[in-house]
Formats: sequence, structure tokens, C-alpha cells
Amino acid sequence: MLLVDLQVAARNLTRHTRRNLFLGAALASVTGLLVLLGALTAGIEGSMMESATTLMTGDVNVGGFFKVTSGSAAPLVSGYPKVLEATRAAVPELDYYTVRGRGWAKAVSDSASMDLVLGGVDIAHEPAVRRVLQPIGGTLDELARPNTMLLFQGQAERLKVSVGDVLTLSAPTERGVNNTVDVRVVVVVKNVGIMSAFSAFIQADSLRGLYGLSPEATGAIHLFLKDRGQSALVAARLREEFQRQGWRVMEPDPQPYYMKLFQTVPSEDWTGQKLDVTTWEDELGQFKQFIWGIKVFTGLLVFILMVVIVIGILNTLAIAIRERTREIGTLRAIGMQRRKVLWLFMLETALLGLAGCAAGALGASALAAGLNAAAIRVPEAVQLFLSQEHLTFQLRAADAVSDVLLLTLVTVVASLAPALRAARLKPITAMHHIG
Amino acid sequence: MSIIQVRDVTKVYLLGKTQVHALRGVSLTVDKGEFLSVAGPSGSGKTTLLNLIGCVDTPTTGLVEVGGLDTSKLTERALTDLRLHQIGFIFQSFNLVQVLSVFQNIEFPLLLQGGLTKAERAARVNGLLEATGIGEYGRHRPSELSGGQRQRVAVARALVTRPALVLADEPTANLDSQTGQNIIDLMRDMNRKDGTTFIFSTHDPKVMAHASAIIRIADGLVAVRELVGATA
Ligand SMILES: Nc1ncnc2c1ncn2[C@@H]1O[C@H](COP(=O)(O)OP(=O)(O)O)[C@@H](O)[C@H]1O
Ligand SMILES: [Mg+2]
Repeated sequence: MLLVDLQVAARNLTRHTRRNLFLGAALASVTGLLVLLGALTAGIEGSMMESATTLMTGDVNVGGFFKVTSGSAAPLVSGYPKVLEATRAAVPELDYYTVRGRGWAKAVSDSASMDLVLGGVDIAHEPAVRRVLQPIGGTLDELARPNTMLLFQGQAERLKVSVGDVLTLSAPTERGVNNTVDVRVVVVVKNVGIMSAFSAFIQADSLRGLYGLSPEATGAIHLFLKDRGQSALVAARLREEFQRQGWRVMEPDPQPYYMKLFQTVPSEDWTGQKLDVTTWEDELGQFKQFIWGIKVFTGLLVFILMVVIVIGILNTLAIAIRERTREIGTLRAIGMQRRKVLWLFMLETALLGLAGCAAGALGASALAAGLNAAAIRVPEAVQLFLSQEHLTFQLRAADAVSDVLLLTLVTVVASLAPALRAARLKPITAMHHIG
Repeated sequence: MSIIQVRDVTKVYLLGKTQVHALRGVSLTVDKGEFLSVAGPSGSGKTTLLNLIGCVDTPTTGLVEVGGLDTSKLTERALTDLRLHQIGFIFQSFNLVQVLSVFQNIEFPLLLQGGLTKAERAARVNGLLEATGIGEYGRHRPSELSGGQRQRVAVARALVTRPALVLADEPTANLDSQTGQNIIDLMRDMNRKDGTTFIFSTHDPKVMAHASAIIRIADGLVAVRELVGATA
């Protein structure tokens, strides 16, 4: 029987070629769009997360704040070697770590200035930075020298400087006076997404110099685990361990450190050193929000499209089913149950939906692959925003399949109402139906 | 024993705001194995009566019993089952499924019933294809057939489940007299061999002559029930 059902459904589809082609094409284009948008979002997310995680945070970070007065705050871990020792003892999952200075300064060139979140790096021990950053002028190794700095391309353009030029960094210190240091730009690297808008790297000791810090002070220890999935667990354990060993530890707060530095910590009523253990997810909260925003936007777009499509499908199906009301009446009269009638129509729309949506998904995949291969340059203005220099789609088969299934389901559900209406008619009424 | 009981049945159609009284109080009893003709002029209510007996429509008032069951008390599902298993209906306009072949159209009620093997179904369908004289058209689509040929497909489809009751609404109206005769002979055969009850409407006296009894209706009322000489 199923074979006959399928045959009936398939033949009915081919009988109204024009209308079904129209419906199929509509479904195909929506699925295609859905797949493309999904792949683009995934592409953005992929590149953004890659760069952001490797540059801004470890899997787990041991940072902290030092407050000279209750109204101030500096992103500091003083006496970090001891903290590091305790950390290494408590985290057998550790793969490797880096020690990062944290700071914030105004960079001033001959012709312009901008605020920058600074990372103080010991470039010899920063494998991730070397992996992710692509110099377009100078070399990364130069960053090992004192009073040197790395800028992203966009920053260099904005400050109108290039490799070899000198910048003045001006930073507020704990005592409320501005310290300055002159640094030479030794390397300019390609932008890597939104983070390259506001953060730059300087040699670690230069950062200490800027703030007048001892060699035992740093911003944070970035821990990279063998398995990133363990991050939350390790963070919780570290908090406990630090507390047990007498450090003061801050409550978990899923925000990047610079948000805490500028917003929450200065208004807290305590002084001295506190440690703050965060995970990569805490630090990237804003990136995640941004990606979430993109997803909401695409989701909304898709929803609107779906509504339009569903209305279109409902209309077309209603017409199709009305045309076949007589046939339904006959089938009912010779003993076909209502649910069987429904089943036949569902089968028909499911076939149509599956064919249309699959075609759309395949088309979109081909298009995405083609666009990837063509390596289309994203306009400068949007590059930063999308974390992409070239338009990159990240196709995930599972996503495409679920898109196809979702839209097929929507189609089938949309067909239920008109089919139900036809199936409910008295057989004789249906048989005498005109139209 | 009666297979059909119709008591004081009326049927009123609404045509816009006007009421059409198609049946005005019809009562009749049909016994098992009858070969009954419903005769009357066009518009007298033959089709309406057959539709009510065939459970594809419901009366405005009155009682319709099929096989001892009060049809007004049955659920839609039970009625559908009744139509599938007990009743074969030959409609005035053939009402075939356009996308299925002739063979598949005839086979369809068997598929709905389930229970027979493919070979058994094929045997039945082929037997009826032969008996109705359209043996070579099994693979054709209904749209490729003439009106008379389509009518024969409709007849075969109604008979294929070997129902206890066959309702035929002017089964010979679209056929030439020879084919019409063949169809009547086929039905008469089934009636004799299997005891299938037949009720068919017609206004052709030659066809009526084959009936065991004739119900004459006019203006939605049974005028008279006549016995024809050659009773089974
Ligand atoms: N669906 C309907 N709506 C309105 N009037 C109908 C409908 N079906 C039949 N009639 C009317 O009911 C009367 C009986 O019709 P019908 O049973 O088809 O007669 P017959 O089959 O004997 O020609 C006729 O006057 C016809 O016009
Ligand atoms: Mg009629």
C-alpha cells in the first residue's frame, strides 16, 4: 500500500507541474538562504572565536585586581610566581600557559591618538599568538626587545604609523598620575576580527615599566588545558585552592576583565590584592553576545521568510486541495478513512518539501563552496565586524540536513489544515464539489 | 432477511435560500439477494436515495439501516468501514482516480481493505477486467479511455471487494446497448452466484426487465413496488 501511496503522491505532484515547481522553488530558495546564512554565521563565529580565544584568553585565566584605594583598581596579580606555582600544582590538566600583562593606555602618534587595551607579552612563550597573527610588516620576534609594540593593521592606519615609527603610550597609574612610555612599532599584523579594533600587544617588561610594576607582577596567567571542556571545573577547583592557601578570591562573574576594571571593581569596597579566576567563556561574553546578536538577526529574517512561505504554501495547497476535493470525495466514498486521506496529502507535501528543500540546500552548498573558492574580499568597514577578510562560509552537513527537515516539516504542517478540511467533508459533498 | 431498511426518509437540499425536497418520506425494505431496480424520471430522487443507502450522505429525517445497523448511530469511521467492506458503489459520473492506471483503480479498494496477497489481488482484478471486456486496458490511465470504458472500470472497482451490497446509479446510461447488456449480465451473474444484493437506478425499460423487483419513485415518493416475472 505504501508503494501505491507514494506512487499516487508522486504522480499527483507531476500532474500539476507548474504549481509544484513554483512551490518547490520557493522552498528551495528559503532553504538555500537558511543554509547560506547559517554557514556565514558559522564562518564568522569560527574565525571570531579562533582569534578571540587565542589572543584574549586562555581556557582558564588566573587574573586579579589590586586596589590601592577602594575607589581605584588595577588589573594585576602581584607576586605571580607563587600563584603560578600553586596553579600548576592544582591543574594536572594543564597543557601549557602564558603570562600576560594587562593594561590600558592612550596611544599617541604624531597625528592621531586612540585608546587601546594592552596585552603585555613575552613573545618567546606565546605559541598561540604566533599561530594566529600574520605580520604584514616587521617580524614578531622583534617584540622580544624592550619598548616595542605590535599593532593591528587598522590601528596602524588610524594612528598613521608604520613599522619603525614611535608611539607614546600614556596610562593612568594606581596613584592617579599618568605615566608615559615611548614604544617603537616593530610589527603590524592583519586584523583578526572585532578584537583588533581595541587591543594591541606590547613587550611585557615595557608594560611593567609603564605602570611602574615589579617583575613579579603581571596581569593574568592564561592556562591552556588539554581539554577545553574541563575549563569550568578547573576554574572552580582553582578558586577553592587559592582560598585554601590564603589568597582572597573574587566571586565568579562572567564578564571580560576590562569590563570589571572599568565598571564593577573600582566601586567595590576593599583594598589590596584579589585573584579572579575566569574561563574563556566568561572573557568572551561580549563576543558571544555579538554572535548571539547575529544569530537573532538571522533567526528573525528566517522567521519572517518562513511566515511568508507558509502563507504561500497554505494558499497554493488550499487551491490544490480544493481542485481535488471531488477525488477526495470519491476515495472517501469507496471506503478510504479520513486519516488515510490526510496521510496521502501529507506524503505528497512531504515529497515536494523534501525535494525542494534538498535542492535548495544543495544549491546553497555549491554556492557557498564557490564563494569560498572565489575568496571575495569583505569591504574594509565590515571586515572588522565580521572577523573576516574574505567572505568565508563554514558549511556543516548536520545543520543543512536539519534545515531541510525543519522546512519540510513546516510545509507538511502547513498542508494539514486544507487537507483536513477536505477530508472532513461528507463524501457526497466533496464529490459534488465544483472547482 | 432484509439487508436494507429505509423508513420515512426525507431529504431536503438547500439551494441558496430555496429548499429542494428530494425525498418526501420514503420507506422500503430490500432483502438479501434481491436484484432491485429503482426507476423514475430524472429528478425524482433516485440518486439521492442511493446515496443515503450507500452511506455517503445523511437523511434530513428518517431511518436508514444497512445490514441491521442504524447508520445515524455509526461514527464516521464505522461508516467508512461499512462502505469499504459491505458496499460497492458505481457512481453516475465514474469518479476514477486520474493518476492511477485502470488496474490500480480497480485494485484500490482491495488495498484499502488489506488482507489479500498481491497475486490474489491481481487474479481478482484481471478476472473483472476480462468480465467487463476491458482486459487490454489495464495499464492505461482513465483519461485514455472512452466514457463506456470508464464506466466499466467503475463497475469493476465496485465489484472487486465482492461486497454484500452493490449500488449502481444508472450503470448503463453511458453505454451502448451491447455493453450495457454485458454489464447487467455480469451483475446478474454475481447476484445469482454469490447472492450479492444489487440496487440500481435506471430509466431504461430494457434494463428494468432484468430486475427481480422494481421500485418506482416519482417526486421523492415511492409510487409502487412491482415484482418482475423472473424472480431469483
Ligand atoms: N446537491 C444538491 N443540491 C440541491 N439540490 C439537489 C442536489 N442533489 C439533487 N438535488 C435535487 O434533488 C432532486 C432529486 O435529485 P436526484 O436524486 O439527483 O434525482 P435523480 O437521480 O432521480 O435524477 C432534484 O430536484 C435535484 O435537482
Ligand atoms: Mg441521478
